[in-house]
Amino acid sequence: MNALDGKANYFPYLLLLPALALTLFIVAWPLAETFRLSFTNSSLNPVEEYVGFKNYIKIFGGKFPAVIVRTFYWMFISVSLKMLVGVAGAMLLNCAVPGRNLFRVLIMPPWIVPIAIGVFIWSWMYNGQFGMISGIGQWLGIFAGPFEFLAFRNSSFYATIVTDVWVGTPLVTIYLLAAMQSVPGDLHEAAWTDGASRFYRFRRITLPLIMPAVATMGLLSAIWTFNSFDIIWILTEGGPRGSTTTMIIDTYKTAIARNRYGEGSARAVMIVTFLSSFAAFYFYMLTRFAKRAMNHGEPTS
Amino acid sequence: MNMLKFAAASMLVLGAVSSAQAADKELHMIQCGGQDWGGSFAEKHIGEWEAANPGYKVNLEYLAWGQCQTKATTLAAAGNAPALAYMGSRTLKQLSKNDLIIEITMSDAEKATYAAPILGTVTAGGKIWGAPRAFSTKALYWNKGLLKAAGYDGEKGPTTWGEMYEMASAIKEKTDADGIALVAASFDNTMHQFMNYVYSNGGEVINADGEIVFNSPQVVEAMEFYGTKLASVAQPGPIAYDKAKARPLFLAGKSGFLVGPYGDSARMKEVDGLEWAVGPMPHGPSGESGTLLITDSLAVFKGTGVEEQAVSLAKYLTNPKNQLEFEIATGLTPLRASAEVDAMIATDPNWAPFIDIIPAGGPEPFATDYQGLQDAINDAIQSVVLGEATAAEAVEAAADALEDVK
Repeated sequence: MNALDGKANYFPYLLLLPALALTLFIVAWPLAETFRLSFTNSSLNPVEEYVGFKNYIKIFGGKFPAVIVRTFYWMFISVSLKMLVGVAGAMLLNCAVPGRNLFRVLIMPPWIVPIAIGVFIWSWMYNGQFGMISGIGQWLGIFAGPFEFLAFRNSSFYATIVTDVWVGTPLVTIYLLAAMQSVPGDLHEAAWTDGASRFYRFRRITLPLIMPAVATMGLLSAIWTFNSFDIIWILTEGGPRGSTTTMIIDTYKTAIARNRYGEGSARAVMIVTFLSSFAAFYFYMLTRFAKRAMNHGEPTS
Repeated sequence: MNMLKFAAASMLVLGAVSSAQAADKELHMIQCGGQDWGGSFAEKHIGEWEAANPGYKVNLEYLAWGQCQTKATTLAAAGNAPALAYMGSRTLKQLSKNDLIIEITMSDAEKATYAAPILGTVTAGGKIWGAPRAFSTKALYWNKGLLKAAGYDGEKGPTTWGEMYEMASAIKEKTDADGIALVAASFDNTMHQFMNYVYSNGGEVINADGEIVFNSPQVVEAMEFYGTKLASVAQPGPIAYDKAKARPLFLAGKSGFLVGPYGDSARMKEVDGLEWAVGPMPHGPSGESGTLLITDSLAVFKGTGVEEQAVSLAKYLTNPKNQLEFEIATGLTPLRASAEVDAMIATDPNWAPFIDIIPAGGPEPFATDYQGLQDAINDAIQSVVLGEATAAEAVEAAADALEDVK
């Protein structure tokens, strides 16, 4: 209603229509279709039938629960490392050292280089015969001979994590650096005047003030890492013996490589469910931080 | 007034062009690889076919190897199939079972132009589902210098698995190199490599009656040889190697043997100082020298309205003369015997082990879920290489898994 003349004003809603249509077309419809397909036996066969919860029962009766556990473990280790390295990197880049701007630029290449190219280079670095890592390891006496990182269950699992951390850390670092730069300098000066050590100032001033940013980045990073496909696919295609098969890899293999669209959709629905809970938690945290900031007059991130 | 005349004339010209275009029926063709992969010959032949078939225009779409097959399959599943597409022949059974492609009928004279096992790579249920377009066989390359250093004359390669293992062991012990560049990664080439040994030992995955016979003594022997004996004299960690990573080992003189297609010889010729030779696959205790016959085919999709013309185009592109031009341009193994192929062997005797072996070759296993079949066999190989199962256990487990995908 227009407050002045008492007539309804639909113009703002009209302006929203294109965005609404776009969202319905590229988000809502594919999502609804995925849910629908998950209850069918859809495959290359043009005739599809509804099969109830059969696809869900089938995936939980097989190897999928182990894949879910592996996915969470992979995500947990990877995100933890990204956050640790990211915080440390942001602290270093925040120091007043000569050439600081150069270092800030130099940290970006892993994030800027196309993932396929970066990961392809990593696949050769992990090679035992020609790769740098095995070569250095042998030179240092860590390995007796060439070591193939992608040939064994555990080493390939952690190798994919290391590459994911390499790709994902620059963004975390830059984001947290921006948060650190928003911490008022006079708080540090006051603490320094009172004799607080560098570590004490970090623990009691910097860390609490950047915690909203850390939480935000941690959650966003978890969402991206959960769905990380290209790194694992290029390095191992989910092998050896499924040891690097995460939910997204399993879903791709089922739905696209094996053309089992119904079963693949059931897996995709599981991914959507998990990611939706992450997203819900993310928005809950955002709201909480925003409320706290309003109460205390603090920056939100 | 002049403006009006100009506009009217433009409309007439545009209308004429549009109606001419509308008269042309389009054949959407998906080709894997870039234009540089025999594209100039394919385009020349397509042009000839168009000239002989007025009213039909071929829309040739080149796609990267990694996505061409997926796109053609997805388009077909979505009801928007291309008229014809370059597909791995291993997918044809699945596509035919789902009623997405049509049979390619061939006369007896046409069939007779192929060596008998080649059509086996495109035949399911007694029907031919694709026109073979690209063909590959495998043979054993060896490094003559390393064999000499290991105490052999180097000119003669192994003919049996026993000899092969003995030579590879000697190379591993007496030189800095490994016996063989072995692949066991989670990629399609691992299964392909293994199948060379299966067919060289009288084994099969699926027999002519469609039954899984993977758990035969011949396959167990092949698995034991590949996953245990060869792995013990290969480079460390073969599971980290697909063919793209194994080949450099041989080129760098780091391994004594490599199983590969004829195309690998071109790369070897470029390496200064690399002394190499090539011969047929050694055979196991229960069979004769064989190889895996891999073909890619032109498949004609159903429901496009131009199926008849698509079959005609597929046959034109793969007729003996055009196919040979394409093969020479791309370095592929010839599909048919001919005087030109004899001349090719005379010019380069390295062709002989790849062509002479064709009658003893076996087709890529045909399954309704090819990816499932590949995963089951690769998992069996990896379980043996990692020492997590014996050859017999791995083969038995794979045979069970294959029942679901045959």
